[in-house]
Amino acid sequence: MAYSEKLIDHYENPRNIGSFDKAAEDVGTGLVGAPACGDVMKLQIKVGADGLIEDAKFKTFGCGSAIASSSLVTEWVKGKTIDEAETIKNTDIAKHLALPPVKIHCSVLAEDAIKAAIADYRAKATKKADAAE
Amino acid sequence: MDHFARLGLPAALDLDAATLDRAYFALQRQWHPDRFVSKPPAERARASGEAASVNEAYRTLKDPLSRAFYMAERAGVELPGDGKTIDDPDLLMEAMEAREALQDAGTPEAVDKLAAEARQDVQKALAGLASLFLANDRAAIRKALLRLRYLDKFAEEARARRMNIERSTA
Repeated sequence: MAYSEKLIDHYENPRNIGSFDKAAEDVGTGLVGAPACGDVMKLQIKVGADGLIEDAKFKTFGCGSAIASSSLVTEWVKGKTIDEAETIKNTDIAKHLALPPVKIHCSVLAEDAIKAAIADYRAKATKKADAAE
Repeated sequence: MDHFARLGLPAALDLDAATLDRAYFALQRQWHPDRFVSKPPAERARASGEAASVNEAYRTLKDPLSRAFYMAERAGVELPGDGKTIDDPDLLMEAMEAREALQDAGTPEAVDKLAAEARQDVQKALAGLASLFLANDRAAIRKALLRLRYLDKFAEEARARRMNIERSTA
């Protein structure tokens, strides 16, 4: 099976590996897994006061396509609003990395991870707003 | 006929390995093609069909983990297939931390220690499953099986990690 150059680049030089403090108010954490293949993916966003995602980090234990998909998403979301980041589709990820059909599920995992991170951030923001009232 | 009935055994998770072996070898002898060489084609075909079913039943039930997944399917427990994701935080945090610890393990001994702990977790989870099947608690069975999948994956990764360490120090 031939993998695309972009995929191999993200796999060999993954961007933004690491973690933020998941208890921090400005951090949203998404933790998702694909039990059929035993993959687990953590994707975190750090949102600035202006509402833009200023940084993103990930940690993925899984195959090369799962690592590349999460690496790509962390690059894509930086500088976006959370509403914009939420529109990222797994099909965009799969297309950009030219994922082979058997690896499409890796891009689904990355889409679910960013959505979960955004949901976590929103839940924190709502809680904070409620507490301020 | 389900795999347990095929081997004439009760449908239980805590199946005794020796009992399973005995049932399998007896049926394998009974349907062995050598005993049907001089029989009419219809009987030969039946015997080879029976032998194949017995083999499949044995393969499915021999490994406790595979047996647990088979019993879950039989009980109508739905597990996420390819491309389906889960977001159970406790389970995934446990899996993530285990994989991090494995990544940090730098010696074969350190890897073996983690693998041994994971094996104990598998044994404990399987022991707990037996009563969940008796109670037919589908939600709890599903949760336990997802955890077992991750523990099984961990065992596979631990073997790979050990090989990599040995290769790099050889």
